[in-house]
Formats: sequence, structure tokens, C-alpha cells
Amino acid sequence: MNLSGIVVICQPQNLTTVSGALAELPGVEVHFEDRDQGKIIVVQEALSIAAEMNGLLRIKAVPGVILADMLYHYFEEDPEILEGLQARQSRSMGELDIVPPTLSS
Amino acid sequence: MTVSRRNFLKAGIAASTASMAGLSLGPASLASASEAEKDWKWDKGVCRFCGTGCGLMLATKDGRVVAQKGDVENSVNRGWQCVKGYFNAKIMYGQDRLTQPLMRMKDGKFHKEGNFVPVSWEQAFDEMERQFRRSYAEKGPEGVACFGSGQWTVQEGYAMNKLFKAGFRANMVDPNARNCMASAVAGFYSTFGTDEPAGTYDDIELTDTMVLWGANMAEMHTVLWARIMNRRLANPNVRVVNLTTFRNMSSDGADMEIVFKPNADLAILNYLAREVIARDAVNWDFVNRHCIFATGPYDIGYGLRADPEGKWTFPAEADVVAKELKVALDRHEAIGQRRQEGEVVEQKNRANPGAHWSISFEEFKKAVEPYTLDFVAELSKGDGSESLEDFKKKLQQLADLYVDQQRKVVSYWTMGVNQHTRGTWVNEQIYAVHLLLGKQSQPGNGAFSLTGQPSACGTAREVGTFAHRLPADRLIPVPAHRKFTEDQWKIPAKTISPKVGSFYAKIMRDLQDGSVTWAWVQVNNPWHTHPNSNHWIAAARKPDNFIVVSEAYPGISAKVADLILPVAMIFEKYGAYGNAERRTQHWREMVPPPGDAKGDLWQVLEFSKRFTVGDFWGEQTVPGLKAEGYEDNKLPSVLADAEAMGYKPTDTLYKVLFATPENMQYKWPDPVAKGGGNHTSEALGDGWFVEKALWQEYVPFGRGIGKDLADYDVYHDVRGLRWPVIDGKEGTWRFNEQHDPYVTKGAGFEFYGKLQKAIPSGDLDTVTDATPVPLPGKAKIFFRPYSAPVEQPDANYDLWFSTGRVLEHWHSGTMTRRVPELHRSFPAAVLWVHPADAQERGLQRNDLVWLESRRGKVQIRVETGGRNTMPKGTVYAPFFDEGVFINKVCIDAACPISKESDYKKCAVKIYKA
Repeated sequence: MNLSGIVVICQPQNLTTVSGALAELPGVEVHFEDRDQGKIIVVQEALSIAAEMNGLLRIKAVPGVILADMLYHYFEEDPEILEGLQARQSRSMGELDIVPPTLSS
Repeated sequence: MTVSRRNFLKAGIAASTASMAGLSLGPASLASASEAEKDWKWDKGVCRFCGTGCGLMLATKDGRVVAQKGDVENSVNRGWQCVKGYFNAKIMYGQDRLTQPLMRMKDGKFHKEGNFVPVSWEQAFDEMERQFRRSYAEKGPEGVACFGSGQWTVQEGYAMNKLFKAGFRANMVDPNARNCMASAVAGFYSTFGTDEPAGTYDDIELTDTMVLWGANMAEMHTVLWARIMNRRLANPNVRVVNLTTFRNMSSDGADMEIVFKPNADLAILNYLAREVIARDAVNWDFVNRHCIFATGPYDIGYGLRADPEGKWTFPAEADVVAKELKVALDRHEAIGQRRQEGEVVEQKNRANPGAHWSISFEEFKKAVEPYTLDFVAELSKGDGSESLEDFKKKLQQLADLYVDQQRKVVSYWTMGVNQHTRGTWVNEQIYAVHLLLGKQSQPGNGAFSLTGQPSACGTAREVGTFAHRLPADRLIPVPAHRKFTEDQWKIPAKTISPKVGSFYAKIMRDLQDGSVTWAWVQVNNPWHTHPNSNHWIAAARKPDNFIVVSEAYPGISAKVADLILPVAMIFEKYGAYGNAERRTQHWREMVPPPGDAKGDLWQVLEFSKRFTVGDFWGEQTVPGLKAEGYEDNKLPSVLADAEAMGYKPTDTLYKVLFATPENMQYKWPDPVAKGGGNHTSEALGDGWFVEKALWQEYVPFGRGIGKDLADYDVYHDVRGLRWPVIDGKEGTWRFNEQHDPYVTKGAGFEFYGKLQKAIPSGDLDTVTDATPVPLPGKAKIFFRPYSAPVEQPDANYDLWFSTGRVLEHWHSGTMTRRVPELHRSFPAAVLWVHPADAQERGLQRNDLVWLESRRGKVQIRVETGGRNTMPKGTVYAPFFDEGVFINKVCIDAACPISKESDYKKCAVKIYKA
């Protein structure tokens, strides 16, 4: 699971509409709004970071959004990382498969 | 994970993000943020990618990085990150991460044609040592070499530099920064006499006008670009201009885009200088007090390997390589150089291309006179679909912006200028325009050279890990600089060779001709990134050559290696980087390296244990060594002096150069670590804090000469400091009395750099009085003429080709291609082609084509849309993708002064595969 903290910037007068549209997106939660600055803080949840990157594009495409950027990235249980780590740990036991296939050809 | 834990985390992340974005939160929200992160350890780091130097915060738990956020306290990025920066931690966790030394073996022994087999560090170093001793015995000190990096930490670069220059007595270290920043360095030296920019990133918020010369900042310096765009959006008076050879993402945010032909930047800058004079806009008070005028020879070649016998050249490239010695001037060059079209010019000044002399203002004025609007517009216009009149208007508007007395102007540039057969000249010309106007070294005013790598400045340039440099602006050929360095290093006089070693391209050529037979690569990927690579891959695989590659992932260089040493990556080691605004930033080791991987620094130190001073400090034969006070072709024995200093011939290089009594006083563990680990010190096991000791050994080099760095511990409490750091305060605008304590009181401005500050005088063609005249405190305004690219499209190779990066990938992609989401967002290189060029060749979007030059060919897919828009006649592909090995196609022409390769222009043809 991947969680990211995203700041969305829009014109203050559009904040309510934009915020409402963001809350409709699956996997997106609106947590804070700053009406004066036109800033909305959302947290996005996705199974993989790839899905999350696409999710960010989806947020940027919401009408009225001027800017959206991830400021915070949490990936404690990213299966891709865990898989990578396990593969690495078994390799460091001195097994021959330590040689990446690209180097054996 | 339970639902409650997940909700709890989300609340915490939201609160952290909100406070980073400048929202004010109630105490309950803030408490939820700290509660969610309560077993994590946050520490500051610096981004491992480009030269911007963004600050990051990394959270670790149980030996792994679990979260990352931008560092709001860092003045560079103020919490923001780009898409590459976002994945700094993930690059460490790729599936094919190298974790054990691998050596080519057959029948249990090293064999050049063997397959890679895992070996112990002991076996790896045994073979590395055996091969090193063979090369050194056969070829002498210059038979061994190191391809270093602008991605080395300061301490790594410092250690390798010292091992080679003091230990092996060979100046055979050169960084990949040679292919990135060398033209900038040469321009700083010739213009100001000292390296690195005068300004800071704060100029973005202090200026009205930002001009990009060959710098696609929207993709390559994204966070700085975000600051530029913020400035632009908040201030209607601000103007941004993008000068480029094809439409790129930076054009979207610019007020004006100027698409010019390759090398025409030389002409446009002369047009600007001419306009400054014609409009009577020269700041005479500034120029008279602080500048002189200068020029140099034009017949300097193109940085190719001169090869009249065709020994090192493919038959197809022979016609272009022949121009290295002799070239016929085209019409534009003839006008711009006041000569006759078709005149054949022997390139007589190839051996000393950087020589220069002072000229009068009248001569300078005469030199820029041919660069009229009509001439320059006709020569420069890069987009056939644009009208000449529109293009002229743009050039005039560009001049208006520079000349306007009410405007402050910052010029930014990177690879379009530096990777250029006349890269040093273009750097000098940009300074010339700023100096003529007096718009230099002031808040919001100045020419600012951006860097491409995280420590091109901090390590390659400041530590001086080039074949001709020593720390802090010192040079190998200068006897006083060698002596100072030898004294600092407590080694005998004449230990350091007075002969400049091989620059990056020359090391490749040395491997090709057999003058070098042993090379060590650290923190870069030379066989992927050096142009005209078919030659260099064949050279590396020659039976006599032994190639060691320290790597984290199996890229092209690892594949051509004989021995691969697995390295610790960014946050798996202590380190320091120096960014483009002279900001030095340190970080701690946050997680241990995986498996048997160990840092580059440990590898250097461990290897040094295998040699004694007796191995190198006796007399050595060095072909081509010629210097005052030295017998030709000889380095003298310094063993007697060494013994007088208390060294024994049996002392190891480790003991004499690194684990010195002074350095051993810096004990590990140290309070700076706050209880964390340091695998370098722990693996060495003799109780010293290596990175701190080497830092403290290094800093005296810059103190008192305008390059002052702070003590080690200070950097762990701040978000970096720009040098010079004086009385605890970081530097701001160099050479300006109001901001720089090194400027003499009352001087106003003082360009106090010491290098190349006594030059002869002459006219536009030659030296007329060879007596060197000292120029203390002055900067030089250079005239440099238009010079045509050495290879241009013709009937056979009918298109211009240019290469560079894309936002999602870093350099050769060995790290970024391991991050699945970066890889997926930009999996394979594509060739951007103008739709009409595609149509004429019967090609459609996504067609597979051959991209072929005189040097080689690759298969690639055609892209006619997307983020870049090519003018007709020009195609572009990025070089990150090893499956589309672009450097087989690129030419190895270079700026003859800086020796930096020109990746931005060569001639190709494309046809259906």
C-alpha cells in the first residue's frame, strides 16, 4: 500500500467545487482546506505507486486545479519493495543467481 | 495493516503535508502527525539527482526507508520535489541491485572471456591488485586511470584524487563532469580567474528577466523552474525567454521562444554585444573599472582524435575527422571571422586552444561589427516555418530585455551551451554581455551557470578531481599549487607529477591505443554515456585491458567490466554534495547497505592498504613529462625525503594518506551520528570517523582564498551553507563589495580570482606584445567568433540529431529505470521527428526506424507529438535507455579548450527498420 500527501492549489473562489470533485475520486480523501490560500490537502491511497502516479494526473485534470504535487510519500508496505528486499537477501547468501540475468548473457 | 492504523496514518500524513504546504493546524492535528510517525526516525538528506540540490526528509524504521517528504526548511526547494526526487529512496530497492563482487572467471580463475561469478572482497581485491601491478610495471604511472564522477560525495572524490595524485603519482583521474560542466569551468577561469557562479538561487525572486540558453529547465531543473514560474505568475512585469534548437516544455512557460540553428548561439550573443554598443548601453563606469577586452585563436580544432592514417577511425567517419586538422570556412564563418569563404584553415592552435590576449575596445567593436541583425537572423533562424521578420523581431526584443536599464537580468544555461564544440566560448560570451551592461554579481543580475549533477560543483570542481586540478582552484601545472598540496598532505616535494593527466575522452582513447590498461570506474557509466561508443566498447574488451566498475546496478559499463564491485547508495553512506549555488549539504548514513555492498570510499581505502609508498615513490618513467626542475620523462625518487619525514618504504598508502595520526583523532562513534551506524568506519574497524576526518583534512585548502567551508559538525545542524562561509555566515553574491567580504573596501566590485590573470596583448588576429600584463581584480570581456559545427547534415546524413535527458530519468537510467513507476512513465527512448520529415520518409508515429550516423546505428520508435516539437530537419532522442544505445550514434567532437563532448549536434539519417 502506498499513501501520499498531496497539495492541490486552485483559485480561492473555486475551492468548494474543486474540493468536492476531489472527494469524489476513488482512493482520495480531502483532509484540510485553506480558503484564503486556495489550498486543499488530500491523501491518496493506491495499491502500487504506479497507480498513485496516474492518480496524481487524475487530480491535475480536475477542472480548476492550477497545481497538484506530492509532498509526502509513505511506502512502508510496498509489495514491490518487499519483494526486492527478499530477493536481495536470498542472493546475499552467496547463491549463484546473484548474477543478474543481463550480466550472464 | 488494520483499518484503524491506516486511518491513523492518513490523518498523520495529511497533517504533515498541510504543515509543509503552509496551512496552520490546530494542536490535535499536529499531535496526530507526530503520533502516526512515532517509531520512525526522520533525518535530512539531499537529492541524489540533478545539480539543484533539493533538501529531502527521509523516515527510517527497522533499517529501511519507509517515507520521504520534501524538506520545508531547505531554502533551495522549500518542501517541493520533482518526480525524480520523489523516488530517491526507491532507487535503492531495485530487483537487480548488485550485492556481491562479481568477476569474470573460467576454471576458478580470472579470465577476460569468462562469465561473471560471485567472489569475495578478498578475491576481488587480489585480482584488482595483481592487474594494477601489471599495468603499472608495464606502462608506468600513466598506465592506470580512474573515471570519476560529479556524483561522488566530496569525501569519495577527495580520497580517490589523493590516492592517484599522491599515492600512485598519476594525475589520471577525470570525472564525467568533464562531459557536463567542463566548458563552464573553462569559462569561469578565463573570465573571472576562479570557478563557480557569483549569484545564488535567490536571484530568481529578485530579478525581472530570466533568459534560458540551451537549458530546458522545465524538465531538467524542475524545482528551480517551479520557482521561476511562481515568480512569473505573481509579477506581470517578469519576462522569461527560452533559447533552444527545438520547442521543449520550457517554451510552455516562457514569454518568448527563440528556436535557433545549432552553434548559432555564438552569433546571437555577438549580435547582443553589438547591440549593447550600438545602443550606447555599455556601462562604462563598470567596464572601465572592472573589465578588460580579450580574444584568442580561432583555429583550435574540434576535440576529435587527429588521425591522418586512419588508425582509430571508421572509414565512414574519416571525412569529418579530417576536419580536425584542416577546415574550409563556410560563408557565415567567413563573414563572422572577417575572412574569405572557402579559405582552408589549418587548425594550428590545437595544442593551446585556450591561449588568449587582451585587445582594445576598438578592436572588440570591430570584431562584433559584422554581427548585424540581418546577418545573424539569416544565419540563426532554426525553424523553417517561422518568418525571417518574426525571428528578427524576437532577436530585437531579446536585446531590448538585456539592454533595458530598468531591468535586472539573469541568464541560465546548461548542456546546450556546455556540450558544444565551442562551449567555453559561449560561456565567455554570455559573461561578456552581462559585463558590458554591468549586470553581474548583483542581487537579481548575473550570468548563472546551472549544473547537471548533484556534486559537479562540490566534488568534481571544488575538490579538483580532474586530470589538471587540485583542491580549491589549484592546478597541476602550477608549481606553487603542487607544493601547497604536498605540504597539506604531508608528502615529500615532487611526489605529485607536474604532468596533466588524461581527460575523460583521452582515457577512452588511451584504452584504445593501449597506453592505459587498467581503469576504475566509480559513480558513473562511461561506456553508456561517452559518445561514439562503438570504439570504446571494443577498447574495453581488448585482452590487455582490465576494467573495474563500482556499481549499484548492472548497466552497460558493468557489462563491459572485468570486475564489478557492489556499492552502497546515497543514504546507505555518509556524504556531502555541493550544488550549483555553492551550497554544501551533508547527510548521515540512514540505512545499512544490502548484502556485501560497500561504499566507494571504503573501496578506495581498502584498496590503498595493498600498496606501500615504496611501490610508487621511487623514480618513475613518465613519457612526455616535461617541466621546469624535472629531468624529461622522469619523476624523481622521493623516498629519501619521505624517510626524512618519518615514513618507511614499507608504510602502506592507507597509513600515509588516509589513516594518519591527525585523522585517527576523529573517533568513531561520534555524537553527530546520534546513535546511527557508519558502515565505512565499522568495516575498516580501526576506530576513526572517516568522512569527518577527510572533511577536516580537506577544508584548509579553500580557507582564506574565497572558498571557505565550515567545520564538519556545523553542516549537520543546518540545511547546507553556501561558500565562502566566513565568521559562521554563508556567502551570497561574490565579487560585490556589499555582499562579499573578500572584495577590497571601496572597490565596488572586484573579480579577485587569480588564474589566467596575466596575459599578453594583441589585435584581433594575433599577439603583438608577448609581455604578460597583470590584471588584478578584473574580469575579461571576450570576443569569440561564429564557428560552424564540424559535422552538418548533407545529402547522405540529412538530419540534425541532438540528445539529452527526459524528466523521468537520470543520465543512463541505471537508477531511475529500477523504479517501476518512473520506468513505466517513460519506458523506452523515442525519436522526436517533425511530422513532415516523417512523412517524406514514409514514416508514421510508433514506426521502428534505424537512426544512423557515420559512427553507428540504433533502432528506435518514431514520435511525432508529445512534449518536444522539432523544427523540420532536426530529430531528438534521450540517452537514458540502454536498449536504444544513442551514444553509438553521437559524435565525439568536443570543445578543444574544455574537452567537453558535444552531444547536441551531429548528422544522421533515419529509415524504416
